[in-house]
Amino acid sequence: MLVLLRKKSGASTVTQVCGIAKRLLATTSSETTTAKSSPAEEHYDIIIGGGGMVGTTLAAAMTKNTTLADKKVLLLEAAPEFKGFNASGPFLNRVSAINQSSIDLFKSIDAWPRIEAARYKAVKQMQVWEANSDALIQFQHDNFASDVACIIENNLILDAVYARVREAAPNYKVLNKARIQCVSLPRESGASNTRVQLQDGRTFSCELLIGADGGNSVVRKQMGVDVLSFNYDRMGLVANLDLNIEDGCDNSVAWQRFLPSGPIALLPLSDKQSSLVWSTTVPHARQLLAMEPSQFVDAINEAFCRQYPRPDVADKALQAVNAFFGNKGSQHLRQYPPRVSGLQERSRATFPLGFLHASSYVCNGAALVGDAAHRIHPLAGQGVNLGFGDVRHLVKTLAEGAYAGFKLGDTQHLIKYERKCLAKNVPIMIGVHGLHSVYSTQFSPVVLLRSLGLQLTENLPPIKNLFMKSAMG
Amino acid sequence: MAALHALNEIRVPLIRDGLVARGTVKPNYINTTKVLDGQSILEVGCGAGLLTEQLGRLGAQVTGIDLGEVLINTARSHLSDCSPELCSKVQYKVEPIDQHAKTNGDLYDAVIVSEVLEHVDDKVALLEACVRTLKPGGSIFITTMNKTLPMWLGGVVIGEYVLNLAPKGTHHWDKMIAPLDVQRILDTMNCQTVLINGSTYDFWRNTWRWINSTQMCYALQAIKQVQTECS
Repeated sequence: MLVLLRKKSGASTVTQVCGIAKRLLATTSSETTTAKSSPAEEHYDIIIGGGGMVGTTLAAAMTKNTTLADKKVLLLEAAPEFKGFNASGPFLNRVSAINQSSIDLFKSIDAWPRIEAARYKAVKQMQVWEANSDALIQFQHDNFASDVACIIENNLILDAVYARVREAAPNYKVLNKARIQCVSLPRESGASNTRVQLQDGRTFSCELLIGADGGNSVVRKQMGVDVLSFNYDRMGLVANLDLNIEDGCDNSVAWQRFLPSGPIALLPLSDKQSSLVWSTTVPHARQLLAMEPSQFVDAINEAFCRQYPRPDVADKALQAVNAFFGNKGSQHLRQYPPRVSGLQERSRATFPLGFLHASSYVCNGAALVGDAAHRIHPLAGQGVNLGFGDVRHLVKTLAEGAYAGFKLGDTQHLIKYERKCLAKNVPIMIGVHGLHSVYSTQFSPVVLLRSLGLQLTENLPPIKNLFMKSAMG
Repeated sequence: MAALHALNEIRVPLIRDGLVARGTVKPNYINTTKVLDGQSILEVGCGAGLLTEQLGRLGAQVTGIDLGEVLINTARSHLSDCSPELCSKVQYKVEPIDQHAKTNGDLYDAVIVSEVLEHVDDKVALLEACVRTLKPGGSIFITTMNKTLPMWLGGVVIGEYVLNLAPKGTHHWDKMIAPLDVQRILDTMNCQTVLINGSTYDFWRNTWRWINSTQMCYALQAIKQVQTECS
């Protein structure tokens, strides 16, 4: 019922919903509470809704900014208190490929030493190929002078940035088990501040509410921005795998093969272990989840080697391209991923994949970061990196605006954040969606074009560097 | 109005950095929002208080004066509605500058005359009264339009008559003044001009920015010299 009411946007509807919620949650002494229906509202300069990786990193980055460090900030997280990270425990199954600009962000907020001291894996090379042709691309820096990306467990990132935020008390406060129920923005209520009400009835007011609450953001729904979103009808399956690697050999290559049902990727975690990210159809994902471990391992190995029908025209075209560039032939460059030998128990999990983009990231008194504003396919490992990019721009914009005397929630200044982020995010989102669409078919002309495109990119440094710069920072 | 709100993006940093450069702000407040703490500022022709409030938000003690009572009332109600915490920092008065100067001589760290000079006839009298209220060593900040053909074409002809960015008749050629003329006037009042920078307005994205030429609009900072004994 609440969802239906929210779909019909409008100020009166929201105040109705908040009113109903207040009445349902209020104590029974209704007559005496008319004079003071809720306890004194706490006022904060900024409230961050959502204590995930992006929201907490945003808070940590603000503590490190001289202009924002003395502001009163509240971080609201629906889950119970974060239990910390055990660096000697088994690898967790939710990991992210963190690119160089995100690492620079962590270094600038002093969160990197904690991550370094725990564990992470630097990826030196990434090989991407497909099922229907020989086209192949390898990403690496010259002489492997720097890393393509670092694979870091999500909880470790959370641990590092939470530590930063805790140190900044008392200005920066974290409230757990605080799920946002409703939000009232200045433009509707006519008030000058944004009001937030939690599920347990507590209310807060703030100058700026930042929505870092993920794909189903409550803040975004209240902002009423137009959203382009659709389901990919695919599930992402993650698992931690043991690999059959000889001692002394390095596991620093990330592998991704585009299959007709979706890409399968192996991201290195340690010398003998890797994380699997397999985007595939919903029924197939369920099958894989239910398989016996040995069957599951076989399915993975087979997916990387299996021969698919290939259009002749694509093969011929690729041979021509290789001849043109004087390549010894792609077979010489092709490497094969290590064989998977085992599955870490209880590490299999699935999550749905979808696309989402908000047409506007800011409004008076509110702003969006991370998945609340944009959700993409994991095939390029960009999702959380886009979020960290948003964090960098938002902190810079807020600091500049505050130092120029603007109110924190003033759209006049916030719009600059939106412009910078749209310029950065939209091309990547279109690119990733394009890749997903182009690789989802076995139709020969498309196979031909995508193979040519991939092979040309591999052979033309300016184009390859452009992609590397935008994806890897 | 939107253009004036957008103008704050460059004029607040101009004033803020101009005062920081004078060395009279507390060093540990630089780069924080308390940077103008302890500074007393007078804004002449403050209108609806767009600039006045933002200076107050940076910690300054600001007085805004204007001849328009309606505007001052709008400014006061906007202050108490949207930023009640600034009420102790910002005050408004309906008063002409020469009257204000009689009782407030040698008082302010900074006087702001922003988007005002192009609307007054007797600029010398206005500037003379402003300078009288300044402490020795204090700064006067002026932003206005240059008296050039491109500005007249862009600002008046296109801006008022075509794009309706401002009501028709807001700006007149006769009242615009060139930066060198402002500098000459201020020289006669023992004020040394330390900064002149040109700016322009990109109306398509509602953004002001600094440019290398003063052909369009400009901002000027001058320091009231300390009276030396033997002059």
